[in-house]
Amino acid sequence: MSRLSAVKPAYWISGVLLVVAVVLPLLVPTYAKVDPHLWGFPFFYWYQLMWVFLSAILVSISYKLLRTEERRRRAAQGLGDPEAPEAGAAKDGDQ
Amino acid sequence: MNTTVDWVQLTIVVVIFAGVTAMGFMASRWRSAGHLDNLDEWGLGGRGFGTFITWFLLGGDLYTAYTFIAVPAAMYATGAISGFFAVPYTIVAYPIVFVFMARLWSVSHRHGYVTPADFVGGRYGSKALSLAVAVTGILATMPYIALQLVGMQAVFETMGLGGDDLLAKDLPLLIAFAVLAAYTYSSGLRAPAMIAFVKDILIYVVILVAIFYLPHVLGGWDSIFGAAQEKLAKPNPATGKPTGAFIPGDAGYVSYWTLALGSAMALFMYPHSVTAVLSTKTRNVVRRNATLLPAYSLLLGLLALLGFMAIKANVNVKGLDGLANPQLAIPRLFDQEFPSWFAGIAFAAIAVGALVPAAIMSIAAANLFTRNIYRDFIKKDATPAQEAKVSKLASLVVKFGALIFVLAMDKTIALNLQLLGGIWILQTFPAIVVGLYTRWFHRYALLAGWAVAMLFGTISAYNVVNPATKKHFGGSIANIPGTSTPAYIALTAFVLNLVVVIALTVLFRAIKVPDGKDSTHPTDFTADRGDPGVKDLPEIVDDGGAATAKS
Repeated sequence: MSRLSAVKPAYWISGVLLVVAVVLPLLVPTYAKVDPHLWGFPFFYWYQLMWVFLSAILVSISYKLLRTEERRRRAAQGLGDPEAPEAGAAKDGDQ
Repeated sequence: MNTTVDWVQLTIVVVIFAGVTAMGFMASRWRSAGHLDNLDEWGLGGRGFGTFITWFLLGGDLYTAYTFIAVPAAMYATGAISGFFAVPYTIVAYPIVFVFMARLWSVSHRHGYVTPADFVGGRYGSKALSLAVAVTGILATMPYIALQLVGMQAVFETMGLGGDDLLAKDLPLLIAFAVLAAYTYSSGLRAPAMIAFVKDILIYVVILVAIFYLPHVLGGWDSIFGAAQEKLAKPNPATGKPTGAFIPGDAGYVSYWTLALGSAMALFMYPHSVTAVLSTKTRNVVRRNATLLPAYSLLLGLLALLGFMAIKANVNVKGLDGLANPQLAIPRLFDQEFPSWFAGIAFAAIAVGALVPAAIMSIAAANLFTRNIYRDFIKKDATPAQEAKVSKLASLVVKFGALIFVLAMDKTIALNLQLLGGIWILQTFPAIVVGLYTRWFHRYALLAGWAVAMLFGTISAYNVVNPATKKHFGGSIANIPGTSTPAYIALTAFVLNLVVVIALTVLFRAIKVPDGKDSTHPTDFTADRGDPGVKDLPEIVDDGGAATAKS
């Protein structure tokens, strides 16, 4: 219990989202059927194409959560922002 | 069908090809520190690619010309199970990659690892294990390169090139290949990164046009799916069973999801994927790309449906040898339904699409050879300049190997080996991915698990007999031992692999077999650009005592 609550929400929420994004598209019996059609596409085909978007959204949310958490961790450890454009430039200037 | 050369198509392909070639040679000066004499510069493009370039590079790398030919070909021939699984496959690949790839980036940048085998060697302190990972990577990549050429060949054949004369038949391929070899040699990873832009834009244009234009010509999606359903339900003359599956039935569920999951897990074990990821600038570039790369999955899904359009359009898939070859379905569909000039653009897209992955794959295989065979076993004190030189030569050897493969041997051998490659490469997953989180697995247990799974996978694949041709290596699906449920062999072998690794780890720990030295530290796995110990390029060069990057 105490160990579980020590895990930052950003991590377990992302974990759940990613598991959903991996498991649901693999549950073949839930979508191996012809109807309902959409724009002439049988269900089997449009449903899986729809999951391309759903999965991208889930992974994006995980990314946002983890990015925020990682920034906080790095700031707490006194590490710089690697994405800052001047990080590389300053380094070159030093030498 | 096409016995004469279509000059409009040929001219367009040649012009685009020439443009791309010029780009390939100019690429060596692109974003460069000026020296290509170490592996980070030549083999990883200076490790400086951002989100935008990486998206094109990875897209160009993972979605190969062969994919663009083979996925719709599978849809055309046997339907959903062997074709459309590519959609869930590329959907679930990205969440998986999102989880572990950033850790591999970090540890590789702190230790200067260029290949996945470098990491395994450093993590487990075992050269045997790193050799196993390297050899698996090279073995799995070689036939993959060969298949890029097969894809190109299908396009050339459709344009009317080739004939009975052996030289005329293979000349276009030889020229394309010589060009590829020359600019990879001179520009390294920068060449495919730059060409990937052209390739991806061409492919997107072609697919979008095909998806909107062709249903209009062919009578709408309803009739396309209708024609496919009808064709796939017809009994196969050799077996009496239906030709394929329009929608997988109960018996096909396990095959479908194991194919998707096994391929997804294997995707980023391929050395060429790792090469592209390690060439990125910061830890999060790959994660950001995992959110953006599904755009290609959508493309692939739509592309798969072109296979059904080929059924509806009733294309002629007889090859020059008079035998039916489903690989010709897509080129023939374009040839038949598009005006000549647009078919030319589509063919150029596929041909250029073969060059990008072929270049990256040969670089990745060469890096593996250089770092994990040459440096570990042949010349232990190799300087960075020597490494780059060996790698360049190795990439030439790899490409010529692939070329000989395609020209001298039966095409089906390359196909069989690529099928085996997918099974083999997944067996490096426990050492690489699990190793990113825990070192509990014992190095010798990993080695044993790998060996058992490689053997099992190869034998299982050999035992799959094609019911029509009676040949071995008839597919990548076999019954799970002891059951009557067919599943993807790679995943079955992977489970066996894990069982062996866990059992032997418990045993080896109990009898205290010595562990290797772990040269990584827990903080290595979360390090990012600019952190202490994370090497930017010039420092790596200075460490090696090679030419100074800034002079």
